[in-house]
Amino acid sequence: MAEVEVREIRKSFGGGNPAVDGISLTCKNGEYLVLLGPSGCGKTTLLRMIAGLEAPTGGDVLIGGKSVRALPPRARKIAMVFQSYALYPHKKVVQNISFPLEAQGMSAQERMEKVKWAAGLLGIDHLLQRKPRQLSGGERQRVALARALVREPQVFLLDEPLSNLDAKLRASARLELKQFQQRVGVSTIYVTHDQVEAMGLGDRIAVLNQGRLQQVGTPEEIYHHPANTFVATFVGSPPMNLLERDGKLIGFRPENIRLEKNAGSRDDATVFRGHVLRVENLGSDRYVYLRVKDAHGDTNVIAKFAIAEPLEFSNDEDADLVIRNRNINFFDRDSGQKAAA
Amino acid sequence: MKKLPADNTPGSAKVGEGLLGRKVTRRDFVKTGSLLALGASSFPTILTACATGSSTTKSGPKTLKILQWSHFVPDYDKWFDPWVKQWGQDNNTTVSVDHITYSDIPTRTASEMNAKSGHDLILWIVPPSQYEQSTVDMSDVVKKVEQKYGPQLNFAKLTNFNPHTNRYFGFTYSFAPDPGDYRKSLFQQVGMPDGPTTWDEMLTAVTQIKSKTKGAVRGGIGFSPEPDSNMAARALIWSFGGAEQDKDSNVTINSDAVVGAVDYMARLFKQAETAEVFSWNAASNNQGLVAGSLSFILNSISAYRTAQASKPDVANDIFFSKPLAGASGVKALASEHVIQTYIIPKFSKNQDIAKEFLLYLVDHASDYVYQSKLYEFPVNPKTNAQDKLYGPGGWLDSDPYKSNPSSKLQVLKDATDWSVNVGYPGPASPAIGEIFDKNILPSMMAAAARGQKTPKQAVAEAEQQIKAIFTSWRQKGLVGGSS
Amino acid sequence: MSEPAVHRTVIIDESFRVHHLLDRESVLGPVMLSPLLIYLVALIGLPLVFVFIYAFSDATTGSDSFGFVGLQTFQTTLEDPVFRIALRNTVVFTVLAQLVVIVLATVLGFVLSADFRGKWFVRFLILLPWTTPVALSALAWLWMLDSLFSPFNWILGNLHVVDQGTPVAWLGQDSLAVGSVVALQAWRTLPLAAVILMAGLTSIPPELSEQAEVDGAGFWRRFFDITMPLLAPIMMVAILFGIVATFTDMAAVYILTRGGPGNATQVLGSWSFYTGIQGGSLAQGAAIGIFMFPVLLGVCILMLRRASQTEVV
Repeated sequence: MAEVEVREIRKSFGGGNPAVDGISLTCKNGEYLVLLGPSGCGKTTLLRMIAGLEAPTGGDVLIGGKSVRALPPRARKIAMVFQSYALYPHKKVVQNISFPLEAQGMSAQERMEKVKWAAGLLGIDHLLQRKPRQLSGGERQRVALARALVREPQVFLLDEPLSNLDAKLRASARLELKQFQQRVGVSTIYVTHDQVEAMGLGDRIAVLNQGRLQQVGTPEEIYHHPANTFVATFVGSPPMNLLERDGKLIGFRPENIRLEKNAGSRDDATVFRGHVLRVENLGSDRYVYLRVKDAHGDTNVIAKFAIAEPLEFSNDEDADLVIRNRNINFFDRDSGQKAAA
Repeated sequence: MKKLPADNTPGSAKVGEGLLGRKVTRRDFVKTGSLLALGASSFPTILTACATGSSTTKSGPKTLKILQWSHFVPDYDKWFDPWVKQWGQDNNTTVSVDHITYSDIPTRTASEMNAKSGHDLILWIVPPSQYEQSTVDMSDVVKKVEQKYGPQLNFAKLTNFNPHTNRYFGFTYSFAPDPGDYRKSLFQQVGMPDGPTTWDEMLTAVTQIKSKTKGAVRGGIGFSPEPDSNMAARALIWSFGGAEQDKDSNVTINSDAVVGAVDYMARLFKQAETAEVFSWNAASNNQGLVAGSLSFILNSISAYRTAQASKPDVANDIFFSKPLAGASGVKALASEHVIQTYIIPKFSKNQDIAKEFLLYLVDHASDYVYQSKLYEFPVNPKTNAQDKLYGPGGWLDSDPYKSNPSSKLQVLKDATDWSVNVGYPGPASPAIGEIFDKNILPSMMAAAARGQKTPKQAVAEAEQQIKAIFTSWRQKGLVGGSS
Repeated sequence: MSEPAVHRTVIIDESFRVHHLLDRESVLGPVMLSPLLIYLVALIGLPLVFVFIYAFSDATTGSDSFGFVGLQTFQTTLEDPVFRIALRNTVVFTVLAQLVVIVLATVLGFVLSADFRGKWFVRFLILLPWTTPVALSALAWLWMLDSLFSPFNWILGNLHVVDQGTPVAWLGQDSLAVGSVVALQAWRTLPLAAVILMAGLTSIPPELSEQAEVDGAGFWRRFFDITMPLLAPIMMVAILFGIVATFTDMAAVYILTRGGPGNATQVLGSWSFYTGIQGGSLAQGAAIGIFMFPVLLGVCILMLRRASQTEVV
């Protein structure tokens, strides 16, 4: 177990904008850090630089406080799980799992014990004699994890390990991943573009865009106090509503909107006059699409309500939006950065 | 309905009756899959045949297609082609001549015979015995020529006549002698200004020359799978009193004389040659002699003729010797270097005009002798070349191609006395031809020279191979003898 | 009332149009395959049948007719000492040449699939021998290895590695001649193998090697434990091509050494040619050639079976 730190790390593939543009970030001992961002944001490149598969153009990578820039991947004591799991197709499960141990030159007996331990931990004892092609997606993931685990690495690097699973499996796999990490307590850096995964798994989330770090924080901080409009709109579904008022952008989450008829002005809340365009019933939730009209023109806003909550508005009705002030974030109109009220 | 070849002569083409108890001819066999026969190994030839074969069916002027080698004396072809075409014009015949490398002649013949299409006359420079069953009988041509110009020399007759089947399967009209060629300046240094007269003298001389030149000039008798090494091996064996076969085609290779000859070759290699002699092609010994890395070779005068143009100094230093003597009391002999034999394939539709041309060719013996720069000699004693070539003050006394001295070629005056055919003292035959083509004698020599076998073992193994070849051809009824 | 009849005529008429016929896979398939089939039968199948028939006969090049003699030609062939040498040489040369090819083709496969400046030129050079007919390239090699005019000798002579007057007999010494033939065979079968292996390397997902790298494997372990096993099936294909090309070839030997020194480089192809075509014993030549057949058949079956058994991602 060790702390992983990147300092001012940059990677340019020549021509165009750098893939990673000066990111500094620390994954604390035993922490579950999620790198979140849209595709092409540089999160996988960052991970690969930590792994040593990609040489940084600038900056440094430290594992356990020591620079590993000059070290090849195999000397970094890390374990990585690729999106495709990269199981060796010609080897049985048992050989796949024991491969990192063989590379260490461990004796056959020790190897078998370790493999049994890792397989037991992930519940794949019964699959040891199979070939990868005989496994389901979930089983493959567990084999890949077992292989990563077996050499007791300082750091786990996981590159979108759930993206190859179907939606049904994903939720239970997420749970397993989290439980697994809690049990082994190894520092884990997890790359994903799926904010639900990020929110559910991460002790902290680092949001990346266009090669730059946007915000690092706990899921709550990221969700409720986004550092800028990118984070505000990238995290959350539907995204945070943004309205311009008094030269600032006002942001609030769809679930923090209350709808009233002829609401008066209040001290603890902000009120907007709106008009219901359409109500959408999604089973557990209800989305209300509204248009807010004011001096700055028309802005579309989405409000979200639990289905249990009664809703008194229907299409094409006027409605006032009431948002408590503590649920409002302010952003600079030009830079998009968080601003004071 | 099964067709037998229409012109199947009773004496030769004995159709085999085998285990399956039925007779098959390859023509039927090929014809059955007429279109698919494209797939046979003779694919290119069939194409050629298709491209050239149709003209024979036209009425009007006759055609004659000749296939022959690219002559070792290139000027010969420059003379021959227009000359034969002129003859064609005078005889209402369109003549075409195709030249290919000598070594491709057997392959090309095989495919034309297989395709039943191709040239009307094919010139071989070794005995074409294995095609006896597919060629037109030439006894009429030979008879006419002999009436006019005297009987064929014995080795020529043994080349184009099979005494076992009593058949002339080709027509031999000329040969090239195969004397020794030596560098006079080098032989002078070892006290043999007139060249060697025996194999032992030659060995002594080339050994001394090699050591004097620190290995830069070596002996030039080859051990390679190529014609010159084959000829040399035979000349040596005869001069030591041995032979592949006797007069009646019995195998006689395993004799003390042959073992002695093999032993001699092993010594020659060890003392005076390097491993290069195992890798030569037919041109290598010529090139080595002219380049100055060989002191003595057995070859015709063609290399000398080339050197006269390209390297006159070297040519002036090249002299010729008569066959080298081996065992005492044995006549020193040389193999004919090439023996020019035309065959007319049975498929030819222009057999008469082809034969007419052969008679015309012999009528002009002095022309081809002269144009080949005295490379070719006639094989009948009374042609119009006889006096010009051999007579006092003739071409051999005074070389019209500017030898220096001009009497240099006098050595060849009695070439007809010491030249013999491959297979001597017996006739050429398919068996003798196969032994030659499979390079069994040079390989036998090489096996002993390379120390892989003792001379005795090398000869014994060659005998095994040779006997198997004789057995196989005797079964086809083409070779006589019984052992 | 007669409408139905009219309708039926129209339908039948349509279905017999040629272009509709070609829409049917059962018709189109055979039509598209027929050129290949004709090629295979005419240029491979038929000659093979001829060879088998000749081998059991007493056929010669010089005669129309032949009879069947059973196994007699085979008996003669087996007793022929040169045949035994040729058989051994054919196997040895093929194995040696393909061993060289496996090593070099793998290296070249990496070079071909790597990304660097001027790679098109390197690719061009690597593929060049493949585009040259074997007879032509063998002639070029013959000149390079000539006893008198070899440029190698000239270079070695000028470097004073050998005496200038006494050249190395590249094709005259057993080991050098064997080496030369093997080198030529490897040289000419190498490009195809390299291209096949390049394709094979490209088809291996790069993250497998990266995974192994992260898992702690060094270059050689990655190469022998991951890359090679994954490359094996496609390498089998390359070797299969190489074996067939080398085992059956006669041109290299015929042009380079003609079987010499002695019979040290004689192979089945050249000996079959000397015997069957040059020497005129067609049946004997066919029988020698036949001995290639079981070996090639066995090799093919073995390789195809192994190739189909090996894991593919």
